[in-house]
Amino acid sequence: MSGLAFFVCLVSCNRSSENARIEIRWKEERARSIIIPAALIGNVPDDSTSASIMVSLAGKPMPVPIFGSYNREGDDLEFSPLIPFTPGMRYHVYVRGQRAGDFEIPENKTGNALSVTAIYPSADTLPENLLKIYLHFDHPMREGLSNRYVKLIKNRRDTVEAAFLDLQPELWNPDRTILTLWLDPGRIKRDLQPNKRLGAPMQQGTHYEVWVSEAWTDTRGKALEKPFRKAFVTTEKDSLSPTPASWTLGPPAAATRQPLEISFKESMDHSLLQEVFSVQGKSGVKISGQWQTGDHEKQVAFIPTDSWKAGSYQILIETRLEDLAGNNLLRPFDRDITKKAEAASGEIGVLRFNIK
Amino acid sequence: MKKVYFLLAALAGLVLLANTSRNTTGPAAGKFGMTVGTPEIKSISGLAFGPEGVLLVGDSKSATVFAIDTKDAANAQAQPVEIKNVDQKIAALLGTEAANISIQDMAVNPVSKNIYCAVQSGDGTPVLLKISGDKIEPVNTKNVPFSSLALNNAPAEDAKDKRGNSVRVAAISDIGFADGKVLVSGLSGQEFASTFRSIPFPFSNKQDQSTLEIYHAAHGKYETLAPIRTFTTAEIKGKKYIVASYTCTPLVLFPLDELKPGSHVKGRTVAEMGSGNSPIDMVTVSKGGESFLMMSNSARPVFKVKYKSIEAYQGALTTPVEESFATAGVDFVSLPVTNVIQMDKLDDSRMILLQRRSNGSLDLWTSSERYL
Repeated sequence: MSGLAFFVCLVSCNRSSENARIEIRWKEERARSIIIPAALIGNVPDDSTSASIMVSLAGKPMPVPIFGSYNREGDDLEFSPLIPFTPGMRYHVYVRGQRAGDFEIPENKTGNALSVTAIYPSADTLPENLLKIYLHFDHPMREGLSNRYVKLIKNRRDTVEAAFLDLQPELWNPDRTILTLWLDPGRIKRDLQPNKRLGAPMQQGTHYEVWVSEAWTDTRGKALEKPFRKAFVTTEKDSLSPTPASWTLGPPAAATRQPLEISFKESMDHSLLQEVFSVQGKSGVKISGQWQTGDHEKQVAFIPTDSWKAGSYQILIETRLEDLAGNNLLRPFDRDITKKAEAASGEIGVLRFNIK
Repeated sequence: MKKVYFLLAALAGLVLLANTSRNTTGPAAGKFGMTVGTPEIKSISGLAFGPEGVLLVGDSKSATVFAIDTKDAANAQAQPVEIKNVDQKIAALLGTEAANISIQDMAVNPVSKNIYCAVQSGDGTPVLLKISGDKIEPVNTKNVPFSSLALNNAPAEDAKDKRGNSVRVAAISDIGFADGKVLVSGLSGQEFASTFRSIPFPFSNKQDQSTLEIYHAAHGKYETLAPIRTFTTAEIKGKKYIVASYTCTPLVLFPLDELKPGSHVKGRTVAEMGSGNSPIDMVTVSKGGESFLMMSNSARPVFKVKYKSIEAYQGALTTPVEESFATAGVDFVSLPVTNVIQMDKLDDSRMILLQRRSNGSLDLWTSSERYL
């Protein structure tokens, strides 16, 4: 939130004195406003600023006023455009129809470079009907461009056309640092037209690579340092719901803060793993602690805030937990409704353990 | 009850503090339970109009629906609009280049016929613009009457519902208004699921939203959850329906009166409209007593479906879709109009379209009746 204000550039066509330069004000690495000095404006009454003063893009045969608002700052005038000024672009300031000053927004050279910090699933062997990929960035990203900048490459040669579903708006977390991409579900679902016509996006026993272009920029306008690649090999289709009864628990010892480990034998959805588990004591009291994923999302570990006490516990699992192919605890991604066996039943969202 | 309460408050000249809409704080709640203030809109992914010039803004980033009184409620005849290179014109007015902005949605105010347009700059700043004729101007959202409703309630600590917690909305995929209700479809960034909510307007503290879980049944054999991408409402044989298109382009109908809290509705596929494609917008228009569903797509031309064909298909809606229907489904016509990025209804028989022309120009124009 620290507002930075510094003089970046000075271009003035007919005055170049110290007090006639236009100051660019930066906030969060964006050029949020300019201060037009009194020396440039002259005597413009407050109620006629927008009629007398115009800020416009340079190089336009028919300059138009940029939408924004004016505020008095002593004798000077602050102009805040509706969106920040764009790095690399030049602007003119007109006063009563006369060009009174110019300014240019320099490229953003401050701040850290942009990079992909993680991709999930993290394993290098994935089911051919993989449904989701999560890309993690270290800075809020520019939205709406994933279709252009993320590709799925088969056997190091061919780009798989329309592999990811073109969604607008895209599925970002509120911070715009984690993007969810769906491998076109219409092509994964058995028997739908897209599946019949184009086939599934991926086939088993094949080498694939998720490739993220370095041309993708974040909200500051900074591009990725280098392209990002994640290679993996596909295995057979996974059409089964995860079954908690088959998971293994590594119960900790009493009077310790040892982690409680749950192993799934298959990788689960990374994002959901952070949210769907809770541990309760015998009386139903929630045990507070931290969850960590591990072993390529085949495992979670719960580290309690306080030491374990002897007694019986239960782990509650929200049934929305999905594996990599979108099969959740209640239902497989595409359920064959002619087969009764595929429907889940019983107490599927609870695991019990004792601490001695 | 609420009306009586309002009347009493007004009569007594009391200051009625924020009790009708979830986020209203400060001064007395006015028309539609709105209070004057500045809505904290973080993104605009969907626009629609409610009653009397109330603009509904779907904010994906904060998972909130804002209702803003535009006071743009004077009746006007629809005038055709034609603005070539509209993205470049908007970019110049925002002091940037076209590559640095994206047009997120457009909605026509059904009363004034002005076009409202949501634009996002590369840094994520949302901008709301109004287009009347060839004039483009910003819409003031400071100190305006508004109310809001957050879509993501805190998840229940011990969700014992066998179907798990309600889906947390990461992206509002479409927003609409019908029968006094705000309709919102939202996608989750985690589960492969969507919600479709019907929220009474004006917003109230009472949580009488309906949330539907929608399945997509293919050929009576496979059944999958299917997130809604876009929808419209239509009347078929005197009954109101939601016409929804899913992320993988099947077209599905379900009756509006089935929107009951907690219900789980199975949508019935009436057509599958192609692969590698995502539906963008749907509107219902009519000509000479016949109505049509118009649908724009990410990788297909604009489709036109006669509601008559959908009516004729009604019998099959209660039974699983047969193989033969799944291939053909309801007949639809591809119009010679491609790359339509946004579309809305201007009046009964005309639409406004935002189209990327083959020469690269992004044009806003008005369709004529000849497409119907």
